[in-house]
Amino acid sequence: MIDKLAAKQADAKLQCEINGSPVTLETPPTRKLLQILRDDLGLTGTKRSCEIGRCGACMVLIDGKPVNSCLTMAYQCTGKSITTIEGLAPEGGLHPVQQCFLEEGGYQCGYCTPGMIVSVTSLLERSPKPSMEEIEEALSGNLCRCTGYGGILRSISRAIERGGMAHEG
Amino acid sequence: MALNRETSGNRWRIRPDGPGKVTGGLAYLTDLSAPNMLHGLVLRSPHAHARIAEVRTEEALALPGVHAVLTHADVPGLNRFGIAHPDHPVFCEERVRFVGDAVAAVAADSAELAMEALARIEVDYEYLPVVSDPELAMREDAPQLHERGNIQHRNDYVRGDVEAAFAASAHIVEDTYETPRQMHTYMETEGGLFVPEADGRLTVYSATQHGLMDRMQLARILARPEADIRIVSSPIGGSFGGKDELNVQPYGALLALACGRPVKLHNNRFESVRAGLKRHPMRITMKTGVDAGGKLLAHRVRIVSDAGPYSTLSAEVLNFAVEHTLGAYRYEAVEVRSFCVFTNNGMSGEFRGFGGNQALFALEGQLDRLADKLGIDPWELRRRNLRQRGDPGPFEQPIAQTDGARQVWEALPASRLWLERAEAAAAAEAAPAAPTASAAPAAPLGMTPDADLRSASSGTAEAATLQLPWLKIGYGASFVMHGAGLGVGIPDPAGGRLTLAPDGKIEAAFGYEEFGQGLIASLEQMLIEKFGFAGSDLRLVVGDTDAVPDSGSSTASRATSMMWQALERMREPFAHSLLQVASRVLVLPKERLRIGEGGVCDAASGERLLAYRELAQSAAEPIACETSFSYPASPVERVGAHYLYTYCSVGVKVEVNTLTGRVRVLDQFHAVAAGPVVNPQGFLGQIEGGASMALGFTLTEDAVMNSGMYLTRNLDSYLVPTIAEQRGRVEVLPIEELPDGDAHGPRGIGEVGSVGLAPAIAQAVFNAVGKRVSKLPIDPAELQEVPDIVKEGSCPV
Ligand code: FES
Ligand code: FES
Repeated sequence: MIDKLAAKQADAKLQCEINGSPVTLETPPTRKLLQILRDDLGLTGTKRSCEIGRCGACMVLIDGKPVNSCLTMAYQCTGKSITTIEGLAPEGGLHPVQQCFLEEGGYQCGYCTPGMIVSVTSLLERSPKPSMEEIEEALSGNLCRCTGYGGILRSISRAIERGGMAHEG
Repeated sequence: MALNRETSGNRWRIRPDGPGKVTGGLAYLTDLSAPNMLHGLVLRSPHAHARIAEVRTEEALALPGVHAVLTHADVPGLNRFGIAHPDHPVFCEERVRFVGDAVAAVAADSAELAMEALARIEVDYEYLPVVSDPELAMREDAPQLHERGNIQHRNDYVRGDVEAAFAASAHIVEDTYETPRQMHTYMETEGGLFVPEADGRLTVYSATQHGLMDRMQLARILARPEADIRIVSSPIGGSFGGKDELNVQPYGALLALACGRPVKLHNNRFESVRAGLKRHPMRITMKTGVDAGGKLLAHRVRIVSDAGPYSTLSAEVLNFAVEHTLGAYRYEAVEVRSFCVFTNNGMSGEFRGFGGNQALFALEGQLDRLADKLGIDPWELRRRNLRQRGDPGPFEQPIAQTDGARQVWEALPASRLWLERAEAAAAAEAAPAAPTASAAPAAPLGMTPDADLRSASSGTAEAATLQLPWLKIGYGASFVMHGAGLGVGIPDPAGGRLTLAPDGKIEAAFGYEEFGQGLIASLEQMLIEKFGFAGSDLRLVVGDTDAVPDSGSSTASRATSMMWQALERMREPFAHSLLQVASRVLVLPKERLRIGEGGVCDAASGERLLAYRELAQSAAEPIACETSFSYPASPVERVGAHYLYTYCSVGVKVEVNTLTGRVRVLDQFHAVAAGPVVNPQGFLGQIEGGASMALGFTLTEDAVMNSGMYLTRNLDSYLVPTIAEQRGRVEVLPIEELPDGDAHGPRGIGEVGSVGLAPAIAQAVFNAVGKRVSKLPIDPAELQEVPDIVKEGSCPV
């Protein structure tokens, strides 16, 4: 059993880009991106909750598309560009979507918030003036237990109003 | 005025914990790690009820990289926990009573190794019969789960001659209401980091709703002085009552001390489902009679609550349910019999609403059924029976008097939603042939940005789909009188401390927890508004037993009320001390000074004269102020009776699809009479968020069990509302006015939003399709109708 464990864990080289910096890691090819981010790289803004792709707490962008990192394995990240909540805005600044969540109170406990913001950011980049149906579709995989989504919708509304998605300082 | 960002003006503030939350920079306790850290896991029973014949741990211990394998033999102190009645084994000795019962725990170099170690622990079980139906569990021939028997708690309340009152009744309705095993589903599952310190103390970084309670319980388990344990317990990724009891803490603490190394535990979701608390499933039978004029005469209630295997706060929840099955109404005679019953089902325990959710679903259902019999408007029936100002509480106990009941009653008919309902009814009367057209949404008043977003597209979609004959619209309402505080019979301490710290920060320390509700935002806002400090003058200290005074628990909608009262008590003396020292330093009379932003100011010009940092440096001894008191309680013997109440009226509009049986909530109105709004954003969020939980309770949520086994394992089959279910509008109207001379200030609002929606939806469904729902979550099959086309047996060509 231990041999099997050892065999399973044979590391492979993962090369990708995370938040704009090249990363090279020795890691089992089946290791989940969620674990790589949280446990190996200390990027704990990406959250662990259901680990079956249902809640969106672990959402990251891979080549600009929202992906559940709990369902993504290391080998699938090779050569990709990964953006986590920590990389949405330059160090010390806020992405406009983050700014809108902050002002409108689009969070309570905040545990769903990084994933939610990642999904909203990706939605507004694809579709700057989404309909309610598009919002529903884009956020169908992001659960929030605290807010009842009221604050989240107000944040999205404000972000749509503000238009521009460029980073603020 | 509806509560939103615009109507709140500059009282709508950015929360102090906001930046960390939107950037992901805030470290939750399950995000922590430490050098040299081990990973802990708990071995739990796969059986709902079994005798443990033998546990063999040698193979697991022999695995390289495994540092500890613990069982009950390794617990130095009390091998039990539980806030009120410690009967939950840390590790089971001879018997497991549910599928989450802990038998052993391991710590290893990696999570994978810990998992492998668990697999190598051999436990021989002998199956015992499973007790899964609380009614059957009460029978004398049922297998007994505890020495004290299966009935954990009974609570009866009888007043007047209920038989005579039924005999005098013109109409009587009787029904049995069933509610689901709702899961808290905090997004952050239980976990934390447990660190043995160099000085021999233990630091526990793990979520709870009452740090000092955890410290006391851990001290008892570990057989160590409380002073040797520090609990750091905030921030928390949601709790809703679910992290109030100990969960992973005993295992983390025992493992860390056994290994002398930091240990981390973080439950995966299934672990959380199987081991965690749920809302008590209840069966509530009610028989209620009125006279011909609609006056409530007789009310008979029987409650059977499924407590699961151990006590938790099941007795206290039952007491709360008893009080709230009486609710806001006057009766000639009442008789409540209630039972809380041990079973081999999952753990039941405290959950936002605390038994009020189940009680109100039944009680309000009765009022709606009676109104139907009487042929009068259900809201009018409530008016005729409401307790009036000056009346005692549900147990006839003295309560703090307000006009809340009348105020929220009046707010509903005046609401936009109810005006729209009246218009729809009038239009339907005028054109009975085409009732659907009249239900097209009226132009909404007082729209907020989210209302814009929510109605912009759904409005057109709604207008289009409303023509479809299988979509039926209905309105319903409910009335809530919800108690806050722990109630008579339970110590309910409160308190806090203000200090001018050596670095010039005004430090506010409270023994409360931040689990998302916005506690520290409310604390900051009160300090700014009551004293005149700036946000940047403050350091808010919560969730650390080494740093906070005893403030009681962050439960029962009590924390904000208690912070408000504590600050009221400390305002004078603390400001006095600050100004007195400032007056000495500045050589100015105290009367010419006041507290200001950044420092002490000239009372007239507002000019800052002395920064707090300088003030701190010039003070001979630290300037501090501490208060301790208790949550106000009613002066009666009746255990569980409350003194402060929040009143709420809830109106909803729903759409029932009779083809699929699905219910959509299109619009909600909540009027909440709870005194002054401390923090508008928090207030709105509590009502909206509570209502969302109630929506799940009503329509989709149930942790399904079969013979004591969870069929629900994760969020693929446990359905909490998504944004699609929440696209309807939610309007919140706070009623802040309190009687002159009221000394209690803001009432609790943390739970009340989760209570009233279920009965309102049930009534709206009845109005839409004429079917009474008495079991939650609503089974769509009950609402499905055979389409006319099928009934006629022909298809259009
Ligand atoms: S943790 Fe990945 S979707 Fe829930
Ligand atoms: S803010 Fe707590 S889960 Fe969304």
